[in-house]
Amino acid sequence: MTSNQTTSVTRRLAICACLGLTLAWPSFAQVAPLKIGALLSMSGPAAVFGIPERDAITVALEDLNSQGGVNGRPVQVIFYDDRTDAAEAGRGVNQLVSRDQVVAIIGAGTGGNVLAAGPIAMRLKVPLLAPVGTIAATDKKNAFLPWVFRVAPSDAVNIRTILTDAAKDGNKRIGVFYQEDAYGKTGVDVAEQLAQSLGIQVVGSAPAPYTATDLTAQAIKLREANAQAIFMQVSVASLGAGFVKAARQVGLNVPIYGSSGLAQKSFVDGVGAGAEGLRVLSIGNLVYDPSPGEKKLSDLLRAAGKVPQGWGELVGTNGLVAAIAAAKSIKGEITGQSMRDAMENLCGLEAYARGKGCWTKDDHDGWREDALVFTEIANGRLRTRK
Amino acid sequence: MLLFTEYVIRGLFLGAMYGLLALPMSLAFVTVGTIDFAVGAYALLAAAIGATVGGTLGALLGLAGALVASLVMAAVFVLLKRAGHHDTIMIALSSFGLAVAIGSIVLASWGSTAFVRQGLDAVWTVAGIRINPQGPINLAVGLALLAGLTALLFGTGLGRMLRASAVNAQGAELAGIPVVAVQALIFAAGGLLGGIAGLLILYSSGLDFTAGLSLTLSGFAASIVFGVSNPARGFLGGLAIGVAEALSAGYGSGAMTALIPQFVVLLTLGLGMLGAGRYTGYRP
Amino acid sequence: MKQLRNHANSAAALLIAVLFALLLRDPVWIDVAVVIGIQALIALSVGLSFGQAGLLSLAQAPFAAIGAYATGIISVHYGGSPLAGLAGAIMLPALLGYLLARLVIRLEPLAVALATLSLAAIVEVVIRSWDSVTGGYVGLSGISPLAWAASPREYFWLVLLVIVIVIALYENLLASRFGRALNTLRHDRARAMADGVPVVAVSSAAFGLSAAFAGVAGWLYAHYVSYVGPGDLGTHLSISVVLMAVIGGASYVLGPVVGAIVLGVLMRMLPAQELQGLFYGGTLILILLVARDGLLGIAEPWFARALRAIVPQPARVAPEDERRT
Repeated sequence: MTSNQTTSVTRRLAICACLGLTLAWPSFAQVAPLKIGALLSMSGPAAVFGIPERDAITVALEDLNSQGGVNGRPVQVIFYDDRTDAAEAGRGVNQLVSRDQVVAIIGAGTGGNVLAAGPIAMRLKVPLLAPVGTIAATDKKNAFLPWVFRVAPSDAVNIRTILTDAAKDGNKRIGVFYQEDAYGKTGVDVAEQLAQSLGIQVVGSAPAPYTATDLTAQAIKLREANAQAIFMQVSVASLGAGFVKAARQVGLNVPIYGSSGLAQKSFVDGVGAGAEGLRVLSIGNLVYDPSPGEKKLSDLLRAAGKVPQGWGELVGTNGLVAAIAAAKSIKGEITGQSMRDAMENLCGLEAYARGKGCWTKDDHDGWREDALVFTEIANGRLRTRK
Repeated sequence: MLLFTEYVIRGLFLGAMYGLLALPMSLAFVTVGTIDFAVGAYALLAAAIGATVGGTLGALLGLAGALVASLVMAAVFVLLKRAGHHDTIMIALSSFGLAVAIGSIVLASWGSTAFVRQGLDAVWTVAGIRINPQGPINLAVGLALLAGLTALLFGTGLGRMLRASAVNAQGAELAGIPVVAVQALIFAAGGLLGGIAGLLILYSSGLDFTAGLSLTLSGFAASIVFGVSNPARGFLGGLAIGVAEALSAGYGSGAMTALIPQFVVLLTLGLGMLGAGRYTGYRP
Repeated sequence: MKQLRNHANSAAALLIAVLFALLLRDPVWIDVAVVIGIQALIALSVGLSFGQAGLLSLAQAPFAAIGAYATGIISVHYGGSPLAGLAGAIMLPALLGYLLARLVIRLEPLAVALATLSLAAIVEVVIRSWDSVTGGYVGLSGISPLAWAASPREYFWLVLLVIVIVIALYENLLASRFGRALNTLRHDRARAMADGVPVVAVSSAAFGLSAAFAGVAGWLYAHYVSYVGPGDLGTHLSISVVLMAVIGGASYVLGPVVGAIVLGVLMRMLPAQELQGLFYGGTLILILLVARDGLLGIAEPWFARALRAIVPQPARVAPEDERRT
């Protein structure tokens, strides 16, 4: 076989694969659908969030299309798995834009992947709707900043909200338990930056890799540091649950605050009975105490046979709703450029999740404190704190 | 001093887990001369099933699942042998393929949620140190399995057959030992051992679909660090790495916490505790 | 083994490269090809260290990461030229690889693999902890593109060119005294020592060189993606490149490249998302079952026959010569 044949055969097969992933759209005959990409981590470590994001976008798309899509024009979402890999994320942008001709992309799946995908999105002139909290994703020094729009509250907002709450309750000496990645490390760094202004002190920090099988040493370290409260900056549910168990075991009996990454069903199931009163900041409360919008999304998911997991669904649909809202506001031709321009003028945007999205030319962090709720673990559920 | 002791004890409990994972690795090496990289995946599969079904039945089904997965590996092994593979690295690489496949099956069937189950709630206080019984249970199970394996390998006829097959497969064949069949058994045993480790992890800290590879690598490191020549060294290696990790998590800070265990491994290897006498080139 | 191991390799690589360069037009496949090419380079480094020197390394991707960071740091922090970066990307991994090899080369092969795994972990920790230099967990973004290979298509040519150069170097190396020493060593260390081969020095040099190949791949990666983060060139990739080398045929010069292309294209064609691993793992096992010396091992007899049919058979050579190649 010559390489020419190989190329055309593989190309054909790849196209078939893409069509398989594409959501077929029943009605709306004749009108060419508006294409939006979803570049999510559907395999690899970040699949924990990528799969709920995909599921939610799938059911929400059906819902939004049944409400008329973009001024009567159906919306089609084309999924691409970035495999939690930076190079793959860049390639995903390339493929979604040059082959599938999408006008906006929800993604990439992780903060690092956004940094890798950003320059390519800028070159191809398509905005990214980033469902990540990573602070660096919308750093002012990124040349591609005009093309990245965050659809989740940034980690800085999350961490400040938690520590403010801890400080309000008189906990001055804070110990930080964090996972060894960008998300976790941000927790310690921001806590140390905010310490003075909040009147708190970070007395100790203990990191752990994702797959640690025993966290008692970390718990002892924070116990010995005489922390009055523990802040867990963790998004891996088993790690968070493991630490809570370890803390109880070694006699670290102080209030524990969980970051919004832990507002997942599997964390709540995992910590079990020993965690009553544990406070978890949460992006919405999809699973246990949904707002009307969240309830709707949760029903859609259940109708499709999915079990709602937590915040992944919410930030994913924020991206979809924002993209559709931007498209609706465009009078002329819908292109990547016009989508980008429209997004900078979107404000007061309501998606399924709580809070109102608002971007401006100078601020690409769309969702803020109003997207967050404080919850407490009670009877194996996350109860929204009133 | 009390604090130091506490870290050491925690490290031993942690290390028991690595030691448990090292057992099937050492076993496969001592008897087949290869490493089964799917051990972490067997553990993952057992934990996934155990978490879903729960209780004793869940544990049994989990073990059954791990056993089935390892039988697939055994079949692959037999096929590889039939195809004339004598390079053991091929077997190790195909076990890696199986590990990837199992991880993917777990992700597809259970989704990306973590597998965690409540273990025992009790807390014992021994000399001021609070201990959940799960830790001692893990250590005890590890030691019991180690004792059983050692007895099997070095005290029984089957063990002699197994070791003979590894040292000189041709010779063993001539001596009437059904080498390939006996070695295939070892993979199945690895599945059971991996499955047990997975269930203990499920009740200790929990794990998720990404855990397979890192469990394998932990077990691999434990089984090699003091030399791969017998399961006792593997288990000891696990304990040593566990203690090193606990101490560095306790006393180290920031990057040091993650670096110290790696330096311990390199130093141990560099000091040649493996026996540099194999300089003349032992190739598995 | 002989037909594919003589100087035909770089010629074949050049031919295939030119064909690819001329025929590949689809932007997405060019993008895929660039990344496959970069992985093929790392797989080539496995071919040298594992296929020729018999040292199984699980640190080839971290060596590439060092290369990527070296050039990234020079580019982002100092505004240095990519060529300065290239020097760093070659020398740093080579030095580290050489030193590690000196330390552990006497150990048995599995212990060497474990040592490389530890080194990989250390490299990763240093990368993610050294915030001010490496950008920590967030990584380095904004690495300058290459002015003389700005479009993906030009970059693809560059990658092909680098691969052909590396293959030519590799081939010359094998034909040299060094290469023969390496070969003896892999088959029989005692014999090599008896022959007066400085075992430790030769193996370490081969390992250092292999790390340098990986470093070049990292350099290409950094300037192509423009971003490098601590998780990007990690243990998963280290294992993948070993698989590529073995599947293609680690002892053949071109084996790793073939393996990289086959696995890379396979990854594209398999259905993505949750079940991808199942297909990937299954295919891997199948290939290993069918092709014991890698795909080139299967192709070789066929290839040799074809060659005999075209080229008139040379006079029968003496057995000594046959053993030497």
